[in-house]
Amino acid sequence: MTSGANGSAAVPAAEPWGIELKDVTVRYPDGTLGLNGVTLSIAPGEMVAIVGLSGSGKSTLIRAINGLVPVTAGEIAVGGHRVEDAGARALRRLRGEIGMIFQSFNLAGRTSVQNNVLVGRLAHTPAWRTLLGWYRPRDLDLAHRALARVGMLEKLYNRADALSGGQQQRVAIARALAQEPRVLLADEPVASLDPPTAHTVMRDLSAINRDLGITVLVNLHALDLARRYGVRLIGMRAGTVVYDGAATGAGDDVFEQIYDRPIRAEDRVASITGEIGRDASTGEPE
Amino acid sequence: MSTTAGIVLPPRPSGRWRRWAGAALVAAITLVTLLPGIGIGFELTSLLENWRNGAERIGRLLVPDWSFFPRTVRPLLETLQMAVIATAVGAGLSLPLSFWAARTTNPGAVGRGIVRAVLNTVRAVPDLLYAAILVAMVGVGALPGILALVLFSVGIIVKLVSEAVEATPTGALEAGRAAGGSQAQVIHALALPDAWPPFVNQTLYMLELNVRAAAVLGLVGAGGIGLLIDQVRSFYRYDQIALIIVELVVIIIVIEAVSGWARRRLV
Repeated sequence: MTSGANGSAAVPAAEPWGIELKDVTVRYPDGTLGLNGVTLSIAPGEMVAIVGLSGSGKSTLIRAINGLVPVTAGEIAVGGHRVEDAGARALRRLRGEIGMIFQSFNLAGRTSVQNNVLVGRLAHTPAWRTLLGWYRPRDLDLAHRALARVGMLEKLYNRADALSGGQQQRVAIARALAQEPRVLLADEPVASLDPPTAHTVMRDLSAINRDLGITVLVNLHALDLARRYGVRLIGMRAGTVVYDGAATGAGDDVFEQIYDRPIRAEDRVASITGEIGRDASTGEPE
Repeated sequence: MSTTAGIVLPPRPSGRWRRWAGAALVAAITLVTLLPGIGIGFELTSLLENWRNGAERIGRLLVPDWSFFPRTVRPLLETLQMAVIATAVGAGLSLPLSFWAARTTNPGAVGRGIVRAVLNTVRAVPDLLYAAILVAMVGVGALPGILALVLFSVGIIVKLVSEAVEATPTGALEAGRAAGGSQAQVIHALALPDAWPPFVNQTLYMLELNVRAAAVLGLVGAGGIGLLIDQVRSFYRYDQIALIIVELVVIIIVIEAVSGWARRRLV
């Protein structure tokens, strides 16, 4: 592994990493073009919202950054470490530094919240320890702190599938935080949640970026969320970057340019004042 | 009745061929059954001619020889032991193999193909045949029976559990890989919790199958109650066979009840 500017993993408070993409193209086995010559530079500690309609390539972009989707051509470097030509071992170590959050939460439903959050420590734990379940006290401590940060510590021993959608996504955020990540990737993290819960989760991500300084990339398709929580806005269409600028300055015209069609009501999530229904983030399941 | 008060039903999806396919299947089975040329040459008339014979034996089966009980205890326990040992060993071998044979937990097509091909072969051979061959290899006794049942168990458990693993959503596995987990770690931390219920289910069912199978393995010299069945059968002691049948039925019912209870508690 080549060492970047922030390469030392021994630093207690992990310094954030930047991301560099050079002319990255991703073509799927079925011939679909996921990314078409994307060049991007994301500085350490940035809060980036990536918007685009489904199929625009924003999910491919996120997944190429941690090597879940193999790159056809071009170069990707995270914190100075090359992703596309990393070997299996180096890639695992690199992924250990990159947290990821998914639209469908992707928890193991039949096991405890604690075990799910400890998944965030896998890359830093020898296999024999995980097989015996003997996590180091420091790993357990990190898992507990991450859960406390998203307000889910009391659910430590609950089964993950006994939680509501919003609670599951917060556990998933804790799993990513337990990695002590230098970069956090979020692929449509609020698309399966109702509007009030969506705002709660977006506030969590925003606070992680602000308080911990972690570089955050979040895919969104709702323009009001992107405008509210993004600092930098990247718009994607047909596998290419069609907008790159400040999120606050982006008016409806910018989104019309990104979407290549007039803005509709359904392009927004409801407002934060919560006129739509109950607040599911505080609602218990059952 | 396709339109009622102005509503129009959408056109029925095509799929009428299914009905024809069903009819064709019934016709084919009828043909195979009735054609003397293809048939396997049995005549129902023999049932009528020999019914007196059969009725006499059924009559003797209805009166079990209870005094035979002490002699059946040891072989019965041996049968149970064989089944339990074989199920435990077979299940232990099956758990890792199941993940190895499932597409979602083993992306490598070559390794997966080898495991599957071997298991298909293992499953194709009947347990009695394994026992007969193993008796010739390791000698008469419980050992060849246990080995035969282990092979039988692995073939079945791995097939059913690996299919259940493949049917499980893969999101959690992806999250584990994204967090930098190795294949073994991801399987242990994320695939195993979801695989427990089908694994426990199939193992308990396998125990039932193994008790049944262990009862007849003795016919080829592979230990258990089958040896005794073979002896008393050659002396036409239908009353003693009847007792053994009663005992087997009781054992199967007890196992069924216990496994049903365990399933409800564990799954």
